[in-house]
Amino acid sequence: MTSWEIVSRALEFVAEEMGVMLKRSAMSPNIRERMDHSCAIVNERGEVVVQAEHIPVHLGSFSVGVKNLLQQVELEEGDMAIVNDPYVSGTHLNDVMVIAPLPGGLGYVVNKAHHVDVGGPMPGSLNPSASTLYEEGFVIPPLKLVRKGKLNEDVVKMIRENFKVPDTSLGDLNAQISANLVGIARVKQLVEKYGVTQVVEAWTTSMEYARRLTLTELARWPKGAGEDEDYLELDRLTRIRVRVEVSDQGVLADFTGTDPQVESPFNAVYGVTFSAVSFVIRSLLGKDVPTNEGFYSVVRVKAPVGTLVNPTKPSAVGGGNVETSQRIADVTFKALSHLMPVPAAGSGTMMNIMMGGLRGRYWAYYETVGGGTGARPDRDGVSAVQVNMTNTLNTPIEIAERQYPLLFTAYRVREGSGGRGRFKGGDGIIRAFKVLDRTRLSVMAERFLIPPWGLLGGGNGKPGRVMIMSGGVRREMPSKFSTVLEPGDEVVIETPGGGGLGKEEETSEG
Amino acid sequence: MECRVAIDVGGTFTDFIVLVNGEIVTVKTLTNPTRPSQVIKDVLSSLGCEVTEVVHATTLATNALLGQEKLDLPRTALLTTRGFRDVIEIGRQNRPRLYDLNFEKPRQLVPRELRVEVQERVNAQGNILGKVEESEIEEIAQNLREKGVESVAVSYLHSYLNPTNEIRTGEVLSRHFRFVSLSSEVAPEPREYERTSTTVVNAVLMPLISSYLQELNFLPSFLVMSSSGGLVDVEEASRKPVQLVESGPAAGVIASASLFPGNVISFDMGGTTAKAGVVIDGNFEITTEYEVGGEVHHGRVVKGSGYPVRFPFVDLAEVSAGGGTVIWRDDAGALRVGPLSAGADPGPMCYGRGGDKPTVTDANLVLGRVGEVIGGGMRLKPELAREGLSRLGGLEDVSRDALALVNLEMARAIRLVTVERGLDPSNFSLVAFGGAGPQHAVYLAEELGISKVLIPPYPGLFSALGLLLADWRFEARKSFPRDLEAEFVKLERELYDRLKGKVDHFLRYADVRYQGQGWELTVPVNDVNEIRRIFEEKHLSTYGFVMSDREIEVVSIRVFAVRRRPLPQLSVVSGQGDTPVTRRKALLEDEWGEVDVYVKEKLRRGVRVRGPAIIEEFSSTTVVKDGWEALVDESITLVRP
Repeated sequence: MTSWEIVSRALEFVAEEMGVMLKRSAMSPNIRERMDHSCAIVNERGEVVVQAEHIPVHLGSFSVGVKNLLQQVELEEGDMAIVNDPYVSGTHLNDVMVIAPLPGGLGYVVNKAHHVDVGGPMPGSLNPSASTLYEEGFVIPPLKLVRKGKLNEDVVKMIRENFKVPDTSLGDLNAQISANLVGIARVKQLVEKYGVTQVVEAWTTSMEYARRLTLTELARWPKGAGEDEDYLELDRLTRIRVRVEVSDQGVLADFTGTDPQVESPFNAVYGVTFSAVSFVIRSLLGKDVPTNEGFYSVVRVKAPVGTLVNPTKPSAVGGGNVETSQRIADVTFKALSHLMPVPAAGSGTMMNIMMGGLRGRYWAYYETVGGGTGARPDRDGVSAVQVNMTNTLNTPIEIAERQYPLLFTAYRVREGSGGRGRFKGGDGIIRAFKVLDRTRLSVMAERFLIPPWGLLGGGNGKPGRVMIMSGGVRREMPSKFSTVLEPGDEVVIETPGGGGLGKEEETSEG
Repeated sequence: MECRVAIDVGGTFTDFIVLVNGEIVTVKTLTNPTRPSQVIKDVLSSLGCEVTEVVHATTLATNALLGQEKLDLPRTALLTTRGFRDVIEIGRQNRPRLYDLNFEKPRQLVPRELRVEVQERVNAQGNILGKVEESEIEEIAQNLREKGVESVAVSYLHSYLNPTNEIRTGEVLSRHFRFVSLSSEVAPEPREYERTSTTVVNAVLMPLISSYLQELNFLPSFLVMSSSGGLVDVEEASRKPVQLVESGPAAGVIASASLFPGNVISFDMGGTTAKAGVVIDGNFEITTEYEVGGEVHHGRVVKGSGYPVRFPFVDLAEVSAGGGTVIWRDDAGALRVGPLSAGADPGPMCYGRGGDKPTVTDANLVLGRVGEVIGGGMRLKPELAREGLSRLGGLEDVSRDALALVNLEMARAIRLVTVERGLDPSNFSLVAFGGAGPQHAVYLAEELGISKVLIPPYPGLFSALGLLLADWRFEARKSFPRDLEAEFVKLERELYDRLKGKVDHFLRYADVRYQGQGWELTVPVNDVNEIRRIFEEKHLSTYGFVMSDREIEVVSIRVFAVRRRPLPQLSVVSGQGDTPVTRRKALLEDEWGEVDVYVKEKLRRGVRVRGPAIIEEFSSTTVVKDGWEALVDESITLVRP
């Protein structure tokens, strides 16, 4: 009898190997350079058994998205399903999920990859002025992408005619299929070696184990509830309110009091809200807890339907995934700050930059820019790094310039942007470039008006800003816009610094 | 009497392997972190033989970067294109561990005040948009001298396409500084952060390594092992010290490649780590992705945890699994092995040197897979091991499960270097060495479907022995070559001239991808017209598909000039016996049993030993499970008959 630890460790390696396969065979810089993808193995009920540490917002959403999907499509061995409907998958249209059943009804292998463009009016399919899903991009309901081992050409054709850079997308999709095939082959080997019963038992035990480990850690936390709010800068300030209660049974985050859903793309589907809350809890555990269903079962999220944090279809959701998710994480930390030591607010925006145009063929480029992290309870924040809900790499300038009509002019730490305090917030980033061709630029960002908050007397971080230099004129831009740039126009992006923590100590002279 | 010496300078110990008439003598001393060369001089002069050649591997470079050595890093400056001085600090903007709120970036090797921006620019087509002005560099140089800078790195955007601005800058800087590193010379390939990081690491190491090597340069023939598995001379090592960062571990792979023909997996398990590498027909796989001082997670370096270095490295996967790796239970009661290690000091509990945490060696001892007396006559204390392991649960279950876990972790390392590159491990033989490797070899082989295991002579010293088996090897490369054949020939001519014609053969490699892809596959090149075919074969085996309608792109080409060295003759002790010396109770699989124990030095060449059995020798113990048969020769060959 082999102990469950052995089988479950072997399974972890499978999820990682899927990720390597996906990254190395993908076509888009977004996946191969920035690694904006995630992989998991789930059981027959769609519960996460194991996932590789990739992108936080994807990871939490598997727990929600797979269960949704399994209600709508039945998969047999040799099939794979594709979906990007956020109301199913739990993130946004760009995240295309591909899932395949394991032999013998054991469960599924699944991965998500951020496709740089999934159609719609804007390059990058993140449309700052969308009010419904239909103005964001092309919605794929749960469909069979592979049927009995054969690619469903109908789906491929549909993608080819609707995604704006189909060659890249289909290349990435190929990589997603390969990743699942590797996952299936590896799990098969495990079953051959240990037998079905042992594999299933190991899955169950590893979930129980994660739950037990989480509860053991939670037992050390102070019990009670903390409540607070934070804001998004939409047409008006939009409130997210949460009450977080810590008990021996787990953590309950209740978003009652949050503003209703909005007619702009900043609604966060439930999967995103769940991901953000579980990210905060997982980070504060400070232990090596496997992030599987056992861990998730300890986190409960109550998000009233029809609010910003649990909208109804067809509300637009593109920015909910990339911006609102950050604010949900911020406010969850803030509510917990009334109970226990937590870091001050980090930059709080992914600073999404979408560009595209026609240069013979259509090109589309997407990147996010890191910022400063908030000061920690016992040390300064970190400068120029991805914060909370994302952890994608940057696109190397030398790669971006070879592939797109861009000439970068700066990539620097934004000195002095971190909040002051006993412990200082991390500094943000300055990233600037000129366009060499007529280009449509969209920006979707946050924290231009309300800076990342400090804690316990620490100062706020500096808010972000974007400027466009055109023909000697400098325009300061809002946090969300879309515009057309002429060759030679320069865009300067400055991301927020993190908040400080504690009162700055007086330095006595002499 | 003449002798050849291999020296492996580690963080704690400096090991000497002296080869006199095929016989091996070993010397172990403590490393002197502040004057590492002194120890070497002292030992060499006390050997009593005429040293004709010294081959050297050192972890000095890595340890200096990690701040483990009591060495102050030289004050180093960095010149960048205007606007980009912080590329080196921002890195790839990710955090190394997703859920760790207390993470820090690696310490900056060049503080912001010593990063200077220069008015210059080359675009992505290699055209110069802004020329470097000598007067500006002159002013910068004087300023940096006043600040006490010793070494300068230069990394401009797109210099891998057009190095003119860097070269001009280098000329001016050389008038003021002895140590100048240009990114277009050190790592001419795209991706500004990785190239800059490589150049900075080189610049930081230059003053340290070159003064250290100069002190030893009095020796008749002094060679240094590079991370790419070849030997380089003092001049080359001083110019590009960045190639020394993984100089030690490469040696084991070289030794495996030299001694065993065909396809082998080199597996080295010591006290704290296990390393795996692949050799195909005597050629080892090369990778250029590496982070010095990076954290390792399941065999892979965690991106963003160290300093990236783009230089050819022998492709090794490393896991925290060795004899000293600690076995423990976490808060929820799960059995865990590592990554914490008790190292060599205090070491496993059974060493009786004050270790208070049970380790992999303790588990091997409790299960009888290792005897109570090991290499050099050291007597282990099983009662201490039993006490430690019982604290974690049933003695037998804990020991067996812990060893299974550690074997899985190591099998993972082997998978990384085989399966993930499209190679099937069952087509390979496993060469297992290091103090602990032979104990675990058959278990790993079964996990991976491997049917042949080789235990080389002197398994405990085999890695250091590799230093004496390596060929000379010099590297040159070029990014985005236009005419492949002509560029290969040009690189070869450069190397030929630099080595004054002393070259036996060249090895050509190309980093190839489909247009639009971001990662390259490295393929060996015999005929430039065959590149596409070989690339597609490798693409198919690695990723499972090819894209025949898409153009391929050769991102960079690389040439190694190889000079062969004669293999030394090793004399391996053998006896006339063919029977076990004793029997002991051991649990090799699921059941306890009486197992025959042989001593290799007493066995006649050609003896076959059927499992279950244990073969002990000076520096190691080989486990032969039931169903396996060992042919004892100079090496031990394990097969499933």
